Amino acid sequence: MKRNTFYTLFALLIMASMLLAACASPSEPAATQAPGETEPPVVPAETKDTFIFGRGADSVQLDPALVTDGESFRVTGQVLDSLYAFEQGTTNPVPSLAECTPNADASVWSCKLREGVKFHDGTDFNADAVIFNFERWRFTDNPYHYPSQVFEYYEAMWGGFDDASLITAVNKIDDLNVEFVLSTPMAPFLANLAMDMFAISSPAAIQAAGEAYGTPTGGCVGTGPYKFVSWQEGTEIKLVANEDYWGEKPKIKNIIIRVIPDDSARFLALQAGDIDALEQAVVEDLATAEADKNLQVLTRPALNTSYLAFNFKIKEFQDIKVREAVAHAIDKQGLISNFFGKYGTVATNFLPPLLLGHNPDIQDWTYDPELSKSLLAEAGFPDGLSEVTVAEDVTDADGNVLYTAGQKIPLRLYYMPVTRFYFPAAKEVGEGMAANLNAAGFKVELYLEGDWPTYLGGRRNGTLMGLYLLGWGGDNGDPDNFLGYFYATGAEPIKREGWYQNADLAAILQEAVTLPDPEARAALYRQAEQMLHDDVARIWLGHNNTPLILSAAVQGYVPQPVGAENYEFVWFSN
Amino acid sequence: MGRYILRRLLSVIPTLIGVTLVIFLFQRLIPGDPAVAMLGEHANAENVARIREQFGLDKPAFLDRDALAEGDLPGFFDSQYVRYFGRLLQFDLGESIHRRIPIAETLKERFPATVELSLLAMSIALVVGIPIGILSASRRNSFLDGATMIGSLVGVSVPIFWLGIMEIMFFAVIMKWLPSGSRLSSGIVIKPITNLLLLDSLLTGNWVGFKDAFLHILMPAISLATIPTAIITRMTRSSMLDVLQEDYIRTASAKGLSERIVLFRHALKNAFLPVITIIGIQAGTLLAGAVLTETIFSWPGIGKWVYDSILGRDYPIVQGVTLLIAIIFLVVNLLVDLSYALLDPRISYE
Repeated sequence: MKRNTFYTLFALLIMASMLLAACASPSEPAATQAPGETEPPVVPAETKDTFIFGRGADSVQLDPALVTDGESFRVTGQVLDSLYAFEQGTTNPVPSLAECTPNADASVWSCKLREGVKFHDGTDFNADAVIFNFERWRFTDNPYHYPSQVFEYYEAMWGGFDDASLITAVNKIDDLNVEFVLSTPMAPFLANLAMDMFAISSPAAIQAAGEAYGTPTGGCVGTGPYKFVSWQEGTEIKLVANEDYWGEKPKIKNIIIRVIPDDSARFLALQAGDIDALEQAVVEDLATAEADKNLQVLTRPALNTSYLAFNFKIKEFQDIKVREAVAHAIDKQGLISNFFGKYGTVATNFLPPLLLGHNPDIQDWTYDPELSKSLLAEAGFPDGLSEVTVAEDVTDADGNVLYTAGQKIPLRLYYMPVTRFYFPAAKEVGEGMAANLNAAGFKVELYLEGDWPTYLGGRRNGTLMGLYLLGWGGDNGDPDNFLGYFYATGAEPIKREGWYQNADLAAILQEAVTLPDPEARAALYRQAEQMLHDDVARIWLGHNNTPLILSAAVQGYVPQPVGAENYEFVWFSN
Repeated sequence: MGRYILRRLLSVIPTLIGVTLVIFLFQRLIPGDPAVAMLGEHANAENVARIREQFGLDKPAFLDRDALAEGDLPGFFDSQYVRYFGRLLQFDLGESIHRRIPIAETLKERFPATVELSLLAMSIALVVGIPIGILSASRRNSFLDGATMIGSLVGVSVPIFWLGIMEIMFFAVIMKWLPSGSRLSSGIVIKPITNLLLLDSLLTGNWVGFKDAFLHILMPAISLATIPTAIITRMTRSSMLDVLQEDYIRTASAKGLSERIVLFRHALKNAFLPVITIIGIQAGTLLAGAVLTETIFSWPGIGKWVYDSILGRDYPIVQGVTLLIAIIFLVVNLLVDLSYALLDPRISYE
């Protein structure tokens, strides 16, 4: 290379950059005085009219009817209203966009809609809008029920699509009155209406955006206290206050919901003042936050239960004595204190204490390893249990036989590969539990089935062959969403629930969901809990009150046990 | 030279087909179903089946031997891979299973973020690594040389994760000099042209935007630059040491040439070939390996996106991004090979 080549190349580079700049600028106004988009607007942070929430993952979709993740509802809960809402801090459904009354057997509900409410796009909220939304969710041939979309929660909560739907008609009485006709009486009707996923979107917005409704480009349009502004995927979603909101006017002008994937980095961002609140903190950071006068820790009332499940295709687990031996072997209190910390409580029921039907009279299994050993001996295992027998063939989703009847396999304890809000430290709990069991005459192999989708797939197909850890978080604060969802089909072995079968329990649960009287329902659910306990169907481990960390200046933030929190009540103290 | 470039470009095509095959194969080897990953605890058999059907996941991965046995030739080719490849020929990367938005759209936003971060990190690595490597070689066994060797060893070994957290702790939480993460402050807008924020803010004369983007990119870029800086420093030093022992260097010094001229005009060019190779490899690694840095600093690039997509079994995203990274790897390697001829006239491509 000649001596001057470097200089020539350098000069060429400079010229190329200038050319690029020149090409780019004609469409621009004079660069130095560029107004509008090029001129940065005033940063609102100094006046503190922006509330920034830090979270670990982005929303999946902002059409709430299409998603199941809390991070989507965190946003749509601010933008869209449902016909009912959950009262602040409780699971009680209260009127929001409508007030409904049932007929005598709760099979027809007449709803009076709130008058004078407008969607953010200026169109009216009325009976047509309600009917448009419900028909779109229900009918698979509706032009706005696109084939690529799965209205999963509609199917789960309302029995199915088209003719399978429990809502057989939504009739318009007049502009402000509609009537829901159900195929069968349904006690959780109002709780279902209050769910974030059944929030009412603007029909005009759905028609205009088509399939893009709810995506970063389409956004979402409702009647809520905040309006959707922008969604920068994987980064942040911006909302602005709806000055015309029908309810209490939002106190803070802007909301930013920001993704900070790393737990520690998220906490540091809170300490640095870059965000005002966060969820999902590691235990060490929680301790730091509690000691920091600039921060406050709030807890969300537990609407979740973690458990240890039996796979009933294991012959030994079909013997109630073996299951009792497992129940007496587990030191629940020790596990909860060590791994859930002060935010966890020991569970004796599947239903968390704040739910209708929770049975406080259930006497939990005592922690008694010696009793476990004697129960095992009574069951025919005086030397303990380290190997179990497959009772019947077990196949995967494609019908391939994974385990054959009579096959001997090691006694496994499957633990979850991830942390969930109902299970803060699944692996550590698994290790502790294995130690408990091993001290009580069992010899378990701690087993990792794969990653989270694999684990859930194994649960769904009933192929977690042993003891397994899992949990459940409630969707609508109704006991049917726990007990009914799990066991109402138990006349036959329920593959998804470790092949558990209990026809009497199923009959009670099917009845309980139809009763309009809460007291009568509660009695049935308490009975169901007692039956599960007496049968040692599962070992309920704990309920976790998930902590949130906020800047001390944040006021009015009320953690919700179910549904999105209401940011319109949030304000800063100075 | 022209023929060589053409030949190299043509050889990219079979390589890319190979890449798509390998990505496809490995993804399907990971157990777990995208539909289950998407539905979570709520997954029921009907929903899983419906989602599998919608995204063609119910088709065989490569070729349908059962259809062939029945004499159904179109059915034989109706597989996930053939469908994917067909779309690829039309420059369609498909859409995300979970979000149902076109991958190209997200890529347009996220890829520049990773490119910008990687370019700045590479610039830091070059500006710091090469001069220190040269200085260290020219003052072998001095204090500076020792410090460089220890420093670069630490640089190669330090966990990026830890370094990032420490940076945030010091610069954002304690000193409050720099923002703790993300790409831009809320309220700052830069008109997108290339989506490289530093460049766009310069092109539009948006100095406030430039300053804000620069403050945001500084910590992640330094974190990301740590390993390449250390590697380039070590490579430059050892390569220079080899060259400095050559006879012609001794002759040049004996002629009375100044140290600066001996080092920069005579030694550096010859020492540069292995360094260029390393730079090429590092450039590719930076693009593909920014996952940790992007995670810690909430940087909206492709690294974190691909990581999440692998966990969620969002096959189209993993395929699209891996293909893009493969193309960049191939292009960077081509550029590296071409640069050899510029540095060393003895190398010819004809």
